[in-house]
Amino acid sequence: MSDPRRDTPPPPLLDVRGLSVFFRSGRGEVQVTREVSFAVAPGETVGLVGESGCGKTVTGLALMGLLPEASSRLEGQILLQGQDLVTMAPGPKRRLRGRRISMIFQEPMSALDPVFTIGQQISETVRAHHDVSRAEARDRAIEALARVGIPEPALRYDAYPHELSGGMRQRAMIAIALVCEPELLIADEPTTALDVTVQAQIVDVLGELCARLGMAMLFITHDLGLLAQTCSRLVTMYAGEVVEEGRVDDILVRPRHPYSSGLLRSLPALTRRKAALPAIPGRVPLRGEMPAGCRFRPRCAHARSGCEAPQALRPVPSAGQARCCRAEALTLPGVLAGEQAA
Amino acid sequence: MTAARTLVAARDLGVHFRLDRHRVLKAVDGISLEVRAGETFGIIGESGSGKTTLGRALVCLEKPSAGQVLHDGADPFALSGRALRQHRRNYQVVFQDPNAALDPRMTILRSVREPLDVAGTLPRAERQALALQMMERVGLSRDFAARYPHELSGGQKQRVCIARVLTLRPSVIVCDEAVAALDVSIQADILNLLAELQREFGLTYIFITHNLGVVAHVSDRIAVMYLGRLVEMGTAEALLARPLHPYTDALLSSEPVALPSHMRPAQRVVLGGELPSPVSPPSGCRFRTRCRFAQDLCAAREPEWREVEPGHWAACHFAGALPATSAGHGTAYTPVPTEALS
Repeated sequence: MSDPRRDTPPPPLLDVRGLSVFFRSGRGEVQVTREVSFAVAPGETVGLVGESGCGKTVTGLALMGLLPEASSRLEGQILLQGQDLVTMAPGPKRRLRGRRISMIFQEPMSALDPVFTIGQQISETVRAHHDVSRAEARDRAIEALARVGIPEPALRYDAYPHELSGGMRQRAMIAIALVCEPELLIADEPTTALDVTVQAQIVDVLGELCARLGMAMLFITHDLGLLAQTCSRLVTMYAGEVVEEGRVDDILVRPRHPYSSGLLRSLPALTRRKAALPAIPGRVPLRGEMPAGCRFRPRCAHARSGCEAPQALRPVPSAGQARCCRAEALTLPGVLAGEQAA
Repeated sequence: MTAARTLVAARDLGVHFRLDRHRVLKAVDGISLEVRAGETFGIIGESGSGKTTLGRALVCLEKPSAGQVLHDGADPFALSGRALRQHRRNYQVVFQDPNAALDPRMTILRSVREPLDVAGTLPRAERQALALQMMERVGLSRDFAARYPHELSGGQKQRVCIARVLTLRPSVIVCDEAVAALDVSIQADILNLLAELQREFGLTYIFITHNLGVVAHVSDRIAVMYLGRLVEMGTAEALLARPLHPYTDALLSSEPVALPSHMRPAQRVVLGGELPSPVSPPSGCRFRTRCRFAQDLCAAREPEWREVEPGHWAACHFAGALPATSAGHGTAYTPVPTEALS
């Protein structure tokens, strides 16, 4: 791991600053995420983790510019090497999608077009961004299929999505996303629909491609094990906000936000077999009922009087950042036993 | 535990589906196992392995095409239609998707009461009282009685499904991916609830899942399925620590573990390929097409299902003689006692 230490960060490839997403609904606007900020360095793999409804997918879609303009509004900045995607005109943004940023999704069957062959869908991407002949686009598509480990790529070029297995479809989608060698890949739960042995294959393919192409990856997942395996840095989201950010290895051992700690401790693998699992009490607050101050406060075992005040995402000495006024005072359990974590 | 009586048994059980005139899908093909009273019997396997069909057959939702299912030593299909329906009340299923399992137009109370209404053995007032009692037992207050499924969160809906099957006081519950759709913190809640209910009502669980962390945590014994057959079965401790079948080994090794990079097992077994079609499984050992140790013998002869160590069964010609490749992967599940944290 050639992780750059926090004190000397390289200039980020992607710098998300105070990104808030609003959805228009009948009666007005609903805020879905609040001031999400994080950065991804070139070639870095960053995990975005949280439970359903925390805003991680919406953030991914916002980065790609895939939220419907008529019913959503963004505030803040999404800087891709200094260029702000929030204010960018639709034309330039379209040229950038698929070439410099790509995204893959959980369900390859709904992301692929059933009436075109896999190869046609890859060639289409090539020809949308590069002025090349059909024959050359075909060659590149076949090369992309080979790169993601699809056997007999020249034959598979003419296969329709329904003719492929789930794992092969996901590989085909990765081939589409990577054919133009983007600088950043947003992977939204890319293996959730797959079996664990196939998941291991896909994760290997992604890791290899990241290393070979020097590509950065934003890996959106709810699976902390998968995240530990694929990412070097971690961003935890809760109720539409980033609550913690830091190196994966640090956070696994000593999380700085009670929610990160709760997520880790509720993994069944970490509790003695058959013993009660430490669950997080309560549930994620609904959009309209966000508590003032710390949004995790009603479920937090460590809540004190200061927690009703709004919490800022602050750097924690010799760690990442946390949105918790007690981050320095608390010693929260991670995945290891107490004495090892200290 | 060993003296416990056998509640559900399969004897050379087969469940076959005819696809057309020439092809038969043997979803379950020659499986023998015994589930003991009061235990949690885990079944793991990838999609298409036949684990759901096996679970359904064990509680008489599928009629065996070959072999037998025995409930308490007797063949339930020898019963008349009406007697079978009554008998089946003892054997319930909790499904993966509570949205699909609950009628959106029924109030929660009515959904919970419905099995009692169908059984029709109790007067209305008692059914009502029993349903409310079960709702409270699974942690749903009376306020929920008049609500509809769409007003509940995923975890709450799964509680409704559990209350619903409990009303009939079953002895066996098949949990078919019952926590797969839930976030980890909610999953922990539901697993805790299931464990409490097991102690309180003396339930026997057949726990079907693809999630190793979950199955390792809850099960007393685990069976591993591959293409309609069992490849390994044993106590959870033995199977996780010393897998005898190369497929189990690979499954354990593929499971991503949330550990810092320096503590993760250095080598993983990543299986090539995917599950072959269960319609035309490979000759001999069905796993041989993906097995690192496959020899000529494996294609020629189907391995015997044998007790390699006391209580630890496997179907592999070389079980017990293979290098312990994933030794150490099992230890990823070595629990870190929560008590040690205080």
